[in-house]
Amino acid sequence: MSEARDMAKPLAGRWRRLFATLIDLVLVPALTILLVMMTGVMEDPEDYRNSAFVLPVFALAISSYLLLNGYWLFMRGQTVGKRLLSVAIVDHSSGARAHFWKLIFIRTLFFPFLYLTITPALIALVPLIDQFAIFTKQRRCVHDYAAGTRVVKV
Amino acid sequence: MKWWTWPLTACALLLAAGAIAKCEPKPGLNTFFSDGWGIDADNHRLQRQTTLTRNNVHSLRLAWSYGLANKKPRMWPLATEDTLFIGDTGRGIVALDRNSGCERWIHSQPGEIASAILHLKIGTRTALLYLERTSGVYAIDATDGTPIWHAEVNDQPLPLYSGTPFIAGNIVYVPISSVEVALAMNPIYGCCRTSGGMAAFNAATGKKLWFRRTISSPARQVGRHWRFVKEYGPSGAPVWAAPLYNAKRGLIYFGTGENYSRPTTNTSDAIFALAGMTGALKWVHQFTTNDSYNTSCDVPFDHPNCRRPKGPDLDFGAPPVMVHLANDRDVLVVGQKSADIYGLDPDNGAILWKNRLGRGGALGGVHWGIAANEDAGLVFVPISDIEDASHATRGSRPGLYALDAATGKIRWQHARTSRCTERNCYGGISAAITATPDLIAAESFDGILEIYDAINGRLLWSDDSWKHYATVNGVPASGGTYDAHGPMIAGDQIIVTSGYDSFFQKPGNALLVYQLRKVTP
Repeated sequence: MSEARDMAKPLAGRWRRLFATLIDLVLVPALTILLVMMTGVMEDPEDYRNSAFVLPVFALAISSYLLLNGYWLFMRGQTVGKRLLSVAIVDHSSGARAHFWKLIFIRTLFFPFLYLTITPALIALVPLIDQFAIFTKQRRCVHDYAAGTRVVKV
Repeated sequence: MKWWTWPLTACALLLAAGAIAKCEPKPGLNTFFSDGWGIDADNHRLQRQTTLTRNNVHSLRLAWSYGLANKKPRMWPLATEDTLFIGDTGRGIVALDRNSGCERWIHSQPGEIASAILHLKIGTRTALLYLERTSGVYAIDATDGTPIWHAEVNDQPLPLYSGTPFIAGNIVYVPISSVEVALAMNPIYGCCRTSGGMAAFNAATGKKLWFRRTISSPARQVGRHWRFVKEYGPSGAPVWAAPLYNAKRGLIYFGTGENYSRPTTNTSDAIFALAGMTGALKWVHQFTTNDSYNTSCDVPFDHPNCRRPKGPDLDFGAPPVMVHLANDRDVLVVGQKSADIYGLDPDNGAILWKNRLGRGGALGGVHWGIAANEDAGLVFVPISDIEDASHATRGSRPGLYALDAATGKIRWQHARTSRCTERNCYGGISAAITATPDLIAAESFDGILEIYDAINGRLLWSDDSWKHYATVNGVPASGGTYDAHGPMIAGDQIIVTSGYDSFFQKPGNALLVYQLRKVTP
């Protein structure tokens, strides 16, 4: 019965998904910048020698993502943006809550690529192709196919 | 295109490649046309080894052009009897045949080659010396580009190697600036704590002998912004330009730039005199006080790393020049971005004379370099006065000035005007100039190379570089803004690089070699 209910949840609308993603795209770097300021990893001249700050900042960005989204992803398959827009990630085949490891180790890997869309280089096509797949009938982005998920309205 | 043109084209390309490959790889190293950025040890920028005169300058023609790999060339070539050594950022040091432009050898060098190329003897080898902007000083064999030594300063974490070194005997003096001037644009960077300086290296080995900070006290935390980001000072006083070593006094002279943060010091926008052997301070004379500036001050909002009040950024970007006067006295002539030019007593830094030639600004006033002709008793001063973030063009007086070296009074002046209303076309002269006993070669922002009569300032010859060039190396080239190190004069040639977009000028990548047209009897 529960499984049937999960499968029956309607697919999330494209605009709703877009705005949820935009919220995450703003919140994660905002928290990252705050953590960078608090820890001072980009504050000293030594940090810029051989771009030594890159790894610590990357680690803080991952931490920010997990701090913001980890709990709700684990509990309900939602990031902050998705929670605010009442959508959730579910397993594509069963409609049940998606496996946490798939969300973190497959689906989330696509997230940082979204920032490449602001670059004028050819690599900006990577996230664009990922996102434009949502215009298919199944409304699934490439990262959904990779993680075996879909996004539904809750 | 017909089918048979393809193999013909391929053959032509192969022949062209073969022609390049046939170039004799070994350069002639018997005659050098400069011994430093200032050509001579007094930084006069006066080339005596030339056949260019006011009588034949009209027969200058473009002999060949070469397409550089980047659009803001910032190097000054070194010429020998048959070879031109250039720094081609993106490729490395390239030895070109002076007559044809064919490549003798290439020494690959990552990064940005930012200085004049110098020569020195290391044992029996003739070496080339140059700077890469962030990684330091390099010495390579002039014969084939084999590396000899590489040195850098580790006395401050983010050195920027910008000013050309000065070689005096067995010592190489290297001016040190800092990346912090641009890093301050990052609002979460704790601006600023590095100091400019002067470093001395053993010319034979590259071993560091001493390093002298221009700000003796270390930076300390002076505040915070956004709750977490610490603010530091004092900082800055970078050394952007080549120094001058005066053997008679055993002193090395150089100018400094602004402070990057507050508190300011009495060593920014100043002229230093240090003992050449030890780096001990002999005297320092500051010309602009309280000048706190970094690139964050140019943004149109209140940047937290720009400490108020914002300073005018009035560096000494031009190397000092030692002029021996007819009365047997010496005068140290220095030009500042404020458009002020001073004659100083080289023994104590006292002002003997001063003159203000323009409005001044962050890109000059006097920007890259002046020249002097002791025989004529003249100092030649290019004035930029281009509009910048702080200064409109109002009140500007761009052009070329000749001053009496003993009094600083104007002997002649040649005003320049813009060729159009866009900033790119501005008529000022930011690049260093180069003199001969007869002439002054000057490059303007608007891409025109001009040659003036040194005695009266009459314009004798000019050429507009704003065009596309078919090059000897097949790399498409176009001219742009003239800026930076200025023209090199060697024998019957003038060598220039057109294009420079470091500060939103017109980019370009043309290395142009002008030569007196051969007259057949």
